[in-house]
Amino acid sequence: MSTARNLTTAVLAGAVTAAVASFAVPASAAEMEKCYGVSLKGQNDCAAGAHSCAGTATIDYDGQSFKLVPAGTCTDMETPFGPGSLEPIQRPT
Amino acid sequence: MLRSLSDVQADFAAALRDPAIPPPAGVVGPDGGPAPRRFAVYRNNVLVALGNALAGAFPAVGRIVGEEFFRAMARNYVLETPPTSPVLLDYGVTFPDFIAGFEPAASLPYLPDVARLERAWREAYHAADAKPLGAADLAGIPPEDLPDAVFSLHPSLRIVPSRFPIITIWRMNVSDVPPSPVDFAVGEDALIVRPDAEVEVRVVPPGGVAFVDALAAGETLGSAAVIGEASDSRFDLSGNIAGLISAGAFVDFRRQPEPAPW
Amino acid sequence: MLSQNPDFHSSRIPSRVGVGLKPEHYKAILGESPDVGWFEVHAENYMGAGGPPHRYLTAIRERYPLSLHGVGLSIGAAHPLDRDHLLRLKALNERYEPGLFSEHLAWSTHDSVFFNDLLPIPYDEESARRVSDHIDEVQDTVGRRMLLENPSTYVAFVESTIGEIEFLTEVAKRTGCGLLLDVNNVHVSCTNQHWNATDYISRFPVELVGEIHMAGYAPEEDDHGDPLLIDAHDRPADPAVIALYAHAVSRAGPVPTLVEWDNDLPDWPTLFEEARRVEAVLLGADTPEEADVALAV
Repeated sequence: MSTARNLTTAVLAGAVTAAVASFAVPASAAEMEKCYGVSLKGQNDCAAGAHSCAGTATIDYDGQSFKLVPAGTCTDMETPFGPGSLEPIQRPT
Repeated sequence: MLRSLSDVQADFAAALRDPAIPPPAGVVGPDGGPAPRRFAVYRNNVLVALGNALAGAFPAVGRIVGEEFFRAMARNYVLETPPTSPVLLDYGVTFPDFIAGFEPAASLPYLPDVARLERAWREAYHAADAKPLGAADLAGIPPEDLPDAVFSLHPSLRIVPSRFPIITIWRMNVSDVPPSPVDFAVGEDALIVRPDAEVEVRVVPPGGVAFVDALAAGETLGSAAVIGEASDSRFDLSGNIAGLISAGAFVDFRRQPEPAPW
Repeated sequence: MLSQNPDFHSSRIPSRVGVGLKPEHYKAILGESPDVGWFEVHAENYMGAGGPPHRYLTAIRERYPLSLHGVGLSIGAAHPLDRDHLLRLKALNERYEPGLFSEHLAWSTHDSVFFNDLLPIPYDEESARRVSDHIDEVQDTVGRRMLLENPSTYVAFVESTIGEIEFLTEVAKRTGCGLLLDVNNVHVSCTNQHWNATDYISRFPVELVGEIHMAGYAPEEDDHGDPLLIDAHDRPADPAVIALYAHAVSRAGPVPTLVEWDNDLPDWPTLFEEARRVEAVLLGADTPEEADVALAV
């Protein structure tokens, strides 16, 4: 028990010493973003949803959806199944 | 017989949630007659505003699938899992799992993990602030205390393991860099943390997920090191500790008291 | 009240135009310190534990007075208020010491589902009792007077027995709350409900008004092809709304006025220009005799 403890202590101390030694002083922050961070849009609004408020309301619900296939940047990325997702996708039943 | 306020709102809410239900009786236009187009404004507001909240929280997912697909997928999620809190920065916790079960997105098997990374990023962004320990703080721990040292990790720290290169994919889709081919054979486990103002996303080295999970669960440094080694033969203790220090992952430590000797 | 935070600007909201604070404008505001009377935020956007939103808001609070505007409390709900949410509002009031605190005459939560929209209520005695009880609870818990905002509505209820102004006045009388007069909402609701907006402003109890909101709307059509205005906050205030506003401040005096712009957000200079345009109307207002108690919030 005490041998294992000593060994572990030595290993851990060595690891921490090596880890700590790898550090330089961090660069100082200059820009506002470094001080405050990225300013992301808030999620709660008190305005009505959007343009097309009345007009598209039924369309919004009609489950139009799944004739759709993903159509963003995925087509530029190679997947194990071939490049992107150009095959039509069946609507779930 | 006029309805109670409770019944009025129950009917209104039911019709908001299910498009097959007609606008409630008693909801009228200025002429006192039915006004489905007017009621549709509220239906639309609910879906559009909640869809906007999801689009804001999952920008890489949105870019990967395209806006039209994302909107349609988000609508299904909103109808199935509407928010239960008025604080919308908490909305979308289960969206990654929804995506994983959403058949039309099945051709993008990495998408749920990218969504998990984005959710973790959001949580780190809004998490409590804490000042990380520096290298000097760790150097000051007496060596004999190290095996039993228990660390508090930064409240913003999240781990998202993946068998896909989610960090590469995510970066490609939240920056203006044009997408390029990605090697899908290389998985990337992500560590997300906000040590100060900016959220950082880093690749976790081999064995690191088990090591950090153990530390987060309150295991001692000695136990966590054993767990890390057991999980991956390439586990590099010193490299993992250095990575966590530089990420600002440690905020406090204490020496776990010895168990009583009887 | 003395500020708990010595770095904060005074809490008092001046009789000027303020602007709805959006994250997209944080940097311009901190970089340029524009001559804006005050800012208002949606409380729910600052309910995370920490992080950049609080850092920016704290920095801006050090330079400007702040108004806190809740958008999710669901005061008009038949069901009880969400106590956790009420406590979050209390904590934000204590943290940022806003000069004004307001919420909406609307509901947004039912059976734990949050619809994220300001939904309408029938105007009758049951609603008045419910809303008044909730406002009592808010004011008791948060420990300050609140302002209640008139809504934009698209439908009416056969259950309604009294007018909107009578409803708001009655609730204010029962609870001691003040009113937030949203002039764009007046124009939107009056158009949608076929009421006379000028008459609405003429009859509004201006002595209860502690704040005014101005915004833009989007025109649509209803089931009969009649105009149906949507409270979209996505453009400058309409000339008709500016005219109503001039009428409102001619009655109420120079009440602190907010320019709200939430969708299709413009750059900061455009928003600042909109604030200047509204402020010109505000500063042109004489202080009328009937408004001598209008600012007592």
